[in-house]
Amino acid sequence: MNFDTIEYKKYNELFYRYEHPSGLNCIVIPKKGYYKKYATFSTQYGSVDNEFIIPGENEPTKVPDGIAHFLEHKLFDQKDGSVMDKFAALGSKPNAFTSFNQTVYLFSCTDLFSENFKLLLNFVQNPYITDESVEREKKIIGQEINMYRDDPGWRVNFNLLKAIYKHHPVRYDIAGTIDSISEITKETLYQCYKTFYHPSNMMITVVGDVDHIKVFEQVENCIQTTEKAPEIKRIFPKESSDINKSYIEQNMPVSTPIFYMGFKDSNFDLEGAEILRYEIAIKLLLSMLMGKSSRLYEELYDKGLINSSFEMDFSLEKSYAYSMFGGESVNPEEVQDRITKEIKLLKKQGLDQETFNRLLNASKGRFLRQLNSLENISRSFINLYFKGVTMFDYLEVYDKMKFDYITDVFDSHFDIKHMALSVVKQK
Amino acid sequence: MIGTHVEEKLCRLFEKNGIEVYNINSNRFKTNTINIFFQDNLNNDSVALNALFPSVLRRGCKGLPTIKEINLYLEKLYGAVFDCGIVKKGERQIIHFYFEYISDKYTNDSQRNFEKAFEFLMNIIFRPELKDGSFIEQYVEQEKNNLKMIVEGRTNDKVQYSMERCYELMCKDEPFGLYEYGTVEQIDEITNDKLYDHYKKKIALLPAEIFITGEIDEKDVAFVKEKLSLVERSTSQKLNSSIILKCVKDVREYEDKMDVNQAKLCMGFRTHVQPADNDYYALMVFNGLLGGGMHSKLFQNVREKAGLAYYVYAGLEKFKGLMVIASGIDVNNKDTAQEIIMKQLEEIRSGNITEYEFEATLKSLKTGIMSLKDSQLYVVDFYLSQLINGTHDTMETLVEKINKVTVDDIIKVADKLQLDTVYFLTSKSHENSK
Repeated sequence: MNFDTIEYKKYNELFYRYEHPSGLNCIVIPKKGYYKKYATFSTQYGSVDNEFIIPGENEPTKVPDGIAHFLEHKLFDQKDGSVMDKFAALGSKPNAFTSFNQTVYLFSCTDLFSENFKLLLNFVQNPYITDESVEREKKIIGQEINMYRDDPGWRVNFNLLKAIYKHHPVRYDIAGTIDSISEITKETLYQCYKTFYHPSNMMITVVGDVDHIKVFEQVENCIQTTEKAPEIKRIFPKESSDINKSYIEQNMPVSTPIFYMGFKDSNFDLEGAEILRYEIAIKLLLSMLMGKSSRLYEELYDKGLINSSFEMDFSLEKSYAYSMFGGESVNPEEVQDRITKEIKLLKKQGLDQETFNRLLNASKGRFLRQLNSLENISRSFINLYFKGVTMFDYLEVYDKMKFDYITDVFDSHFDIKHMALSVVKQK
Repeated sequence: MIGTHVEEKLCRLFEKNGIEVYNINSNRFKTNTINIFFQDNLNNDSVALNALFPSVLRRGCKGLPTIKEINLYLEKLYGAVFDCGIVKKGERQIIHFYFEYISDKYTNDSQRNFEKAFEFLMNIIFRPELKDGSFIEQYVEQEKNNLKMIVEGRTNDKVQYSMERCYELMCKDEPFGLYEYGTVEQIDEITNDKLYDHYKKKIALLPAEIFITGEIDEKDVAFVKEKLSLVERSTSQKLNSSIILKCVKDVREYEDKMDVNQAKLCMGFRTHVQPADNDYYALMVFNGLLGGGMHSKLFQNVREKAGLAYYVYAGLEKFKGLMVIASGIDVNNKDTAQEIIMKQLEEIRSGNITEYEFEATLKSLKTGIMSLKDSQLYVVDFYLSQLINGTHDTMETLVEKINKVTVDDIIKVADKLQLDTVYFLTSKSHENSK
């Protein structure tokens, strides 16, 4: 059996990689002494993939919003009942989630790893969908959609994406709407399954104290397809670098307004380690600008304009990128105004190299802390795998990060005309 | 690769000035943690004051008088993480200080980061930034506002809120019915002087525990001992145990109306089981069987069969001996959901438990308990809970005891259970649509 071993001695970490003839990759990240074993089976297929050309066809196919998430729910149904019951009989916790770009099936267990792993590999490869079960699922997902409609934190987040994007499907809720899911049928589900659940569009991670060779043997034996599939052409509407609108507001019963603001970034056409370099650069800049040790944070906090709920993040995917920051505030517009002024001032004054060095070290330390958690390791590997890099590539990116690069990125990303504000407040 | 395996067990190191110091050794994590807990009885007079003073302490201490200075310090320590706040466990309100830093073997210098971390916490807790013998007025006023935002904003998360509200209504005449962050009125009444006096008294008086996890050596232990011997403390305040046995006369029903799309149904029960009882292990199995996961009767029947809810589960508040069954349902389905839920309880009482349900519950509990070991914070929380309850289980002994539970034991605890309160959070327009 052929596999690669990639070692990071300084940090006591390594991973093994095996490629199945179908093109599917399996990555094992051993964590000696851990009790939990955490395995995932993912497809590069999320809520944004709602228009595509099926390999072998010429015409594009458009599917209802929320179908990737719907399919995630339905895969747990098997011919002989729900696969959840079988996991439960082994005492493990199966789960799944759908994001904008991926659908991930997973379990965590402490015992009987190979039995659990076999279940995972088998159920994801064997859908069993009936008209009746599709209709029943509409009720359950309808309740899920309603739950999120009542969650102001969720709303403010998705509304910001609606403000930033005019056409890109990242502006729609992952679960879709009650209306959009009503159009879903057994046939459309199978069509999406056949398109996106080919092993060459998928990957597997196992994190924990496991025997990697046994894992790879199981993958070799359980993956039925041995041929690579042609590429799926995903179609995204043309999206200009301009934002859709600069302000969006929703009225909900919240005592203090909640806000998120962010910058649309059209510099997402990056490859390999460049992706990580850009991501780290923006995250460092956000910390330099408005992190807890910045003068802006201090000022906003002292004026009672933000509280400890204030947070920030940056997302970079194949067809879009944006930064996002916010929390609770009695006056979101004033926070926006102060942030805008600070950006203008820093652009004039220039960034501070010492702050950069300190935050780079801190950021690397916080990255190492992530390596304590099997879930974090797995999530990071899945997310980066489809971009052609691994979590451990961050280590080199941290060590090579340059101040000059940061200052260039600062000028391009933090462009006030690409900033939008989303607010949820009481009527 | 990683060196020899370290046995990860709780060790009591010593007691100094009424502060108990424990250590859980491990060498598989990238970080070490320090947790300091001060335990108080949950009561109306101090609940808001206890919630407030940690947030004021977080604003500045000797040498690091502002949030900015504090964060500069943490950043220089390889992005160490510090936070503090309160948690409610039964009828105790616990003040928690937390520090996590990168283990020395992964840093590039020869600093002893444990000492920096511990010294920092000592300064935060015992040497706050002061002016004219009291806290900084501005910090107190700002943190009062922030605390009020938490109290007023608690309805934002309907899932969490409906469950807490159910418990509170159920125990409205008991200390447990207090919300751990206090009320807006209580917060408004707090003055700087009152808060500072309260803080001085509590920090000297409250029984405290320190848990250190990760790799520490004898020098570190000596350092802790020396620092704690300098702390001024008085005789410890007595802690009460949560009152668990309370008979229910009539089931109480409450309803709140809010601007929501989905209703929440929460049913609160008295278990009459104390954490130190032998029955407690059967209660854990009973709860798992009823609503502790996908194999449970509630998930199978309320969600999978009837399609009524996206989420439905049963959760234990073991310190107070309570159980709540929570679900998110359509506003018109309250009666149906309640009926199916009660039927599941009756099924268990009549012994209708399949071998699959029983085995899946035991295994799922074991997985959950053993998985705690992979998080330093969960391990600490586990042992703190043991101390509070006066029990002496490890993860392994807990699993052993759970495995000895029989179906008869489960029926016995199911029979003890009494429904106390039904809470329904529904939409404002609900009446009209009926």
